[in-house]
Amino acid sequence: MGDRLIIGIEKELSGFRLMIDLSIAAEIFVLFGPSGSGKTQILNALAGLMNPDRGEIRLDGRTLFRSLDDSVTINLPTRERRMAMVFQQYALFPHLTARENVAYPLRKDKSNADRLLQRMQLDHLAGRYPYELSGGQQQRVAIARALAADAKVLLLDEPFSALDRPIRDQLHRELIALQEETGLVIVYVTHSLDDAMTAGNRVAIINGGRIEQVSSLTEIFTHPRNRSVLEIIGVPNVINGTIKEDGLEWSGLGLMTKVQQKGRLGEVVTAYVPSEEITIEGIDGEVNGSLDDSHQNRFRGRVVRSQASGLVQRHWVELPNRQLIESARRDGRRYLNGEMVEVKIPADRIIFVEK
Amino acid sequence: MTWSALLLSLQVTLVATIALSVIGLVLAFALARFEFRGKVLVETLINLPLILPPSVVGYYLLIILGRRNPILEWLEWQILFTWQGAAIASTIVGIPLMVQASRAALSTIDPVIENAARTLGSSEWELFRRVTLPLARRGILAGVVLGGARALGEFGATLMIAGNIPGRTQTLPLAIYDAVQARRYAEANRMVILMTIIALAGLWTVRLLESKRMSQRG
Repeated sequence: MGDRLIIGIEKELSGFRLMIDLSIAAEIFVLFGPSGSGKTQILNALAGLMNPDRGEIRLDGRTLFRSLDDSVTINLPTRERRMAMVFQQYALFPHLTARENVAYPLRKDKSNADRLLQRMQLDHLAGRYPYELSGGQQQRVAIARALAADAKVLLLDEPFSALDRPIRDQLHRELIALQEETGLVIVYVTHSLDDAMTAGNRVAIINGGRIEQVSSLTEIFTHPRNRSVLEIIGVPNVINGTIKEDGLEWSGLGLMTKVQQKGRLGEVVTAYVPSEEITIEGIDGEVNGSLDDSHQNRFRGRVVRSQASGLVQRHWVELPNRQLIESARRDGRRYLNGEMVEVKIPADRIIFVEK
Repeated sequence: MTWSALLLSLQVTLVATIALSVIGLVLAFALARFEFRGKVLVETLINLPLILPPSVVGYYLLIILGRRNPILEWLEWQILFTWQGAAIASTIVGIPLMVQASRAALSTIDPVIENAARTLGSSEWELFRRVTLPLARRGILAGVVLGGARALGEFGATLMIAGNIPGRTQTLPLAIYDAVQARRYAEANRMVILMTIIALAGLWTVRLLESKRMSQRG
């Protein structure tokens, strides 16, 4: 059993109030949310670079910060918290070589620096200054330096967002291996869903200073807690409707979608349909007539935009209620802008927001 | 006379440069890193010697360091008309240059880099010594050179509080003035050349130190 980081803090910030309750184990824990949602402030509070108004931060039974009724009773200085931070802009010491950077936190035995440089595949670059290294190499040095500090927690603030995709993917793999090897608590802040998906065991969705949901990303996609979560993870095809006896009445469309539904009659609900689940078909002949029973999850609409990315073909179809429906398929079919099509929404693929 | 003036000038300049470097760096650090009440006032006071005529600065010093200062009286320390007085005058006029140059250098350091050092376990003093100081060293060095040069050339304020006593408080700039007044041009020439050599030597030393460090980096 590794260390456990327990956070319960409040802080009045300009524009919003940060209210965070989290318990983080030895894992890569992702704080995911839009810019300005308070993610970095959480890291600053953990590292002791910012003081919360109220609350407590504990690491493995040791209290790092405690403030009750606005009076701070425990507040360990940053250097005693054993939380090393890795920043988006690397923050290497520009006047020191890679090796000297890694050796910086080491007191007496500097030989550990060589071991860490080797661990991060940097031994051949040890003598170089930060300005002589690529972004990916600099961030490797920064991680090695953080490891040299013998911290219990690594705080990563958008660590790879300035890097290209392949390097980012590789560093994510290395980070996961590193976590498994060391059993460190790693708190990873990002506003990129891609990064959140590749890096994390568990994800906290942060919005406006609050935690909207904490679980695995798969769980978040299949059981989103509320509308705000849907907005933050940026899903397409969000629909609002009312539960009726024979299905969901889609607001503004006057049409019904047959759904496998839980929930009370008359309840207003929000749901979404992953674009991969939506098929579209061409319509032969005249476009009119109402939909019959067997076609209850079909809608007619007009293609307004299409885009091929790799093997995936995306279409955006405008329904009569002006709602855009996005479909992403790999079946090779293409429809032209302006073409009337039929959108098929499988009833059992509609994902409802929990509340 | 030339040599005693030269020695005295070097002595005064050395002491003043050390004093203005230390005091100036502390002030620059406080101004660059902290917000406090009366900050504008402190800034204004520091920069005042740049704007005031040296004789006015000298007059203020005369009043502050004069006979009626109870602390100096208690210490039985006579400052007026001594080389220490000249050193104090040189320090005061050199401080604004030191503060401006080093404050600018300190302000350009990315606070994220300093926070990184803190999360790596550095105390504030260690951070200052191992990160802040080396990163700001160019600006600090420039401040030391500018302040030192100003101290070396100090004339007006020194004349006011230390007088112009040959062998005791007559520094090179004062001796040059004296020589010209007395039409001893050969002596004046000698001292002017000496002064120029000292100034150039100072500048070259700094350049040399800098280029050595630069080549170590590359």
